[in-house]
Amino acid sequence: MSPTLVYTPIDEIPKIHASVVAAFDNGTGKLANLSFRKNQLLQLGYAFQDNLKRWEEALASDMGRPRMESHMSDISGMLSEVTFAYNNVSSWAKDSGPTNWTPTWAAFSPTIRKEPVGVVLIITPFNFPIWTLTPLVGAISAGCPAVIKPSELTPATSALLAEILPQYLDQSLYRVVNGAVAETTKLLELRWDHIMYTGSGSVGRIVATAAARHLTPVTLELGGKSPVFIDPGADLALAARRILWGKFVNAGQTCIAPDHVLIPESIKDKFVKECQEVYQSFYPEGPEKSDSFGRIISTRHAERIKGYLDQTKGEIVFGGEVNLETKFVAPTLVKNVTPDDSLMQDEIFGPVLPLVTVKDVNEGIRLVNSRDRPLTLYIFSNDTKFKSLILGSTISGSVLINDVLMQGGSGNYKGKFGFDTFTHLRPTLTSSKWLDLILNFRYPPYNDDKFKAMSKQVMPSLPAARPTPTGTTKPQ
Amino acid sequence: MTSELVYTPVSELAPIRDHLNASFKAGKAKSIAFRKEQLLQLAYLFQDNIKPFQDALAKDLGRPVLESNMLDLSGIIGDALYAYKNIDSWVKPDKAPFDINWFPFSPKINKEPKGTVLIISPFNYPLWCMGPIAGAIAAGCAVVTKPSELTPATSQLITDLFPKYLDQDLYRVVNGAVEETTKLLSLKWDHILYTGSGRVGRIIALAAAKHLTPATLELGGKSPVIVDSNSDFDLTAKRLLWGKMINSGQTCTAPDYVIVPDSAQAKLVTALKVQYKKFYGDDPRTSGSFSRICATAHWDRINGLLAETKGNIVVGGEGIRAEKYIAPTIVQNVSFDDSLMTEELFGPILCIIPVPSIEIGLQYIRSHDSPLALYVFSKDSKFRKYGKYISLITSPPNILHNARSVRENTLSGMFFENDVVLQGGSSVTPFGGVGPSGYGAHKGKYSFDMFTHHRSSYSSPSWIDVIMGVRFPPYTDVTLKKVNSLVLPTIPYPRPGESAPFNWKRYVTFAVVFAAVAMNKQRITNFIKP
Repeated sequence: MSPTLVYTPIDEIPKIHASVVAAFDNGTGKLANLSFRKNQLLQLGYAFQDNLKRWEEALASDMGRPRMESHMSDISGMLSEVTFAYNNVSSWAKDSGPTNWTPTWAAFSPTIRKEPVGVVLIITPFNFPIWTLTPLVGAISAGCPAVIKPSELTPATSALLAEILPQYLDQSLYRVVNGAVAETTKLLELRWDHIMYTGSGSVGRIVATAAARHLTPVTLELGGKSPVFIDPGADLALAARRILWGKFVNAGQTCIAPDHVLIPESIKDKFVKECQEVYQSFYPEGPEKSDSFGRIISTRHAERIKGYLDQTKGEIVFGGEVNLETKFVAPTLVKNVTPDDSLMQDEIFGPVLPLVTVKDVNEGIRLVNSRDRPLTLYIFSNDTKFKSLILGSTISGSVLINDVLMQGGSGNYKGKFGFDTFTHLRPTLTSSKWLDLILNFRYPPYNDDKFKAMSKQVMPSLPAARPTPTGTTKPQ
Repeated sequence: MTSELVYTPVSELAPIRDHLNASFKAGKAKSIAFRKEQLLQLAYLFQDNIKPFQDALAKDLGRPVLESNMLDLSGIIGDALYAYKNIDSWVKPDKAPFDINWFPFSPKINKEPKGTVLIISPFNYPLWCMGPIAGAIAAGCAVVTKPSELTPATSQLITDLFPKYLDQDLYRVVNGAVEETTKLLSLKWDHILYTGSGRVGRIIALAAAKHLTPATLELGGKSPVIVDSNSDFDLTAKRLLWGKMINSGQTCTAPDYVIVPDSAQAKLVTALKVQYKKFYGDDPRTSGSFSRICATAHWDRINGLLAETKGNIVVGGEGIRAEKYIAPTIVQNVSFDDSLMTEELFGPILCIIPVPSIEIGLQYIRSHDSPLALYVFSKDSKFRKYGKYISLITSPPNILHNARSVRENTLSGMFFENDVVLQGGSSVTPFGGVGPSGYGAHKGKYSFDMFTHHRSSYSSPSWIDVIMGVRFPPYTDVTLKKVNSLVLPTIPYPRPGESAPFNWKRYVTFAVVFAAVAMNKQRITNFIKP
């Protein structure tokens, strides 16, 4: 039975904020204690592990999510992050040293203390409600209290979060606030020490603007149109299988979903054939009857995707059906899509894969570079030159070769990154009396002798002959 | 050498950025050899022109040459050289730490330049604040830098020298004031570094938000000093006075105010007066060891705060507006609500605040904006750090009598024991604030990282679907079970509050091994000792 989503009353929001700020108390108290943090991490993990069936049901209710997909993405993502943080927080939280050893600074015994930045706000989207909550693991590890605002578009899951998390997590420090625009606006008026936002670029700007007023640093996990490059010599069956898997999981509502394929003319027909075979193997009874295909989150988003399909000048190979009532958009392949097509404007965020024909890899690179930098970029190739050319000529958040989506599960980088985002590196230097035997020149009255001593100690000497410039300048 | 600063025409700003963007995209800054050459050029730019820079800084800030060399020139030359020496190791991709699940994907983190970046510098240390340019060059970025219009001679000199040393397709200087800066901020950058006040910091952050541009803000605040009764007062006084009075107090990490126990104030003040005489003799103004305030508007601001103080001026207090001179000044018996405590001083006034207990001082620090730096002077290391923390929620300050650690009970950008300000010279620790004192850090590798996009890359082997093939539809109970065994960990630790279940597996394994060894004792002995 799914609980109904109740929005947090607006006037309670500043009170919740004030209470976690007071509880933070400059990072002292329970938060300074690593055992407490580890305890809370375990509690967070058990909140999910103990209630698997209820989470599955909520995700199914919100977006028709097959159990398999919920386990593979949301649940396993959270549990592995919790376990990884639990195992590593002690070493992450240890004081670290200077980046290099230098004789000058060694005399000051520099160490770097890891301190919580303060109270954090984590705003999550609808597509992977639990996986996108994993920054909470980073916040707990770093010793920061947190307020979470999950999406109102996933009412069952967000209501369940509001019901279950308070049973497991310390309520003086970790709170759930539910709501839509009004409640989020209220949250953004308050001062946080860091805001973590996952979602669209347009709302990202609103979050960044609100944060700027309080000089609050933000981390924005946004999206974009993640392109796929295919080498003519690539294994097309493998590419088709993995690309379509990545596109149709969660009905295409994945920030790192392969958005479109840049298909060389020479292999286009062959690739389309491979895709058709994969499609048959995925959904032998057809996707609408299948237990292995999800739904779009809302009618509005289904209409948006339908709009692209209605206006496309490409040719639909399979799929194309839309049922607004059931929020079903069929897994769809469209070929002969041009860069100015309706499918090539915004991030699709749906189960529609356009194939954009390119003459060669350079045309693909030009196309990618003419647009906003994508969140991720995929390359299917075993040819080192092909891969290096694309890697060297493009900019993207990340890159995955010969597969899709897997980087979203990578625990290591994500795990410590969460801790680092919410940690302030506070260097400690210690001076001693005898240092002034060397540094005495710093004190007034200034004179020539002190100036000479200072120059010897402090002014660097250049190690190499003056370079002959190859640039557009001439030295004096 | 002119001291008339020529502003860049507003209409030229976007074309400059576009030109640099194009050069960046064309790959001009890709080669590491090229970047190293430019870093050396940057270093020579300053080393070849030490005298002109000393003259410009004297004109703009009344700077004695020892301070200009020690605090400005050595910083920028040092940063350029440090980057030159370390760039080869910095640009190497990092391997992700080993993880049994992910190693088949060969995860790596590549270092790529963010693109075209904007660096805005303040008036107080025009050259030291340019240090991050070295990080940007090393990272492979194109750079537009805007030095302060309040230091016209220095900014004009930088503007004249850049084209003679650095590639003008990639590294440009622009000048201006509010109008030009507003125009710059309306453009799209790949990173903005701003050093200056919190008020302008907000404007920068707002502008960056419109383009979703990442920013680093090096701001300021009131950096407190706590002096313990158990201190070496001569040493404390010497270092405090030095850190406060260099650059006439216009240092973001200057010790802003000093908290000292009631009983120790007199000792501290006496020691300060002794050092004051040693530093400046009878007249700081003609000593040749003291700078000036940057602008008359700032002189008015600082003088205004001083005029309203209810503390006692021990020494100093006079000023000459036409010379932008304010004497190095020490004020004692200042209270927390004094005029001198309303904003960051950024001037040569050292306030001493006597307190009945250190807890009161800690309470004040904790209930105000996190400062950029925090200083503590004490002979007792446990007073300084590692001692017990106190939670002021449950322990009202006036019942605590024991010494406890300052560091564990406060937050600040940086922390320094028994000295001040020198951390600005370190390339091996991060220089930056927290909370209203800013976010992000620079110096050394931290500057490089600021302008670098850490682009993770992975490579999926074809054979992985032998294991991971269970991810593909159609989903069945069988494939779900397999997927769970692969990716769904059960938490390997007992629920908090419960003890671990009996680990029968461990005992069975042990028993089996023991039995195997026992049964093969002879064989094993023979193997070890043939």
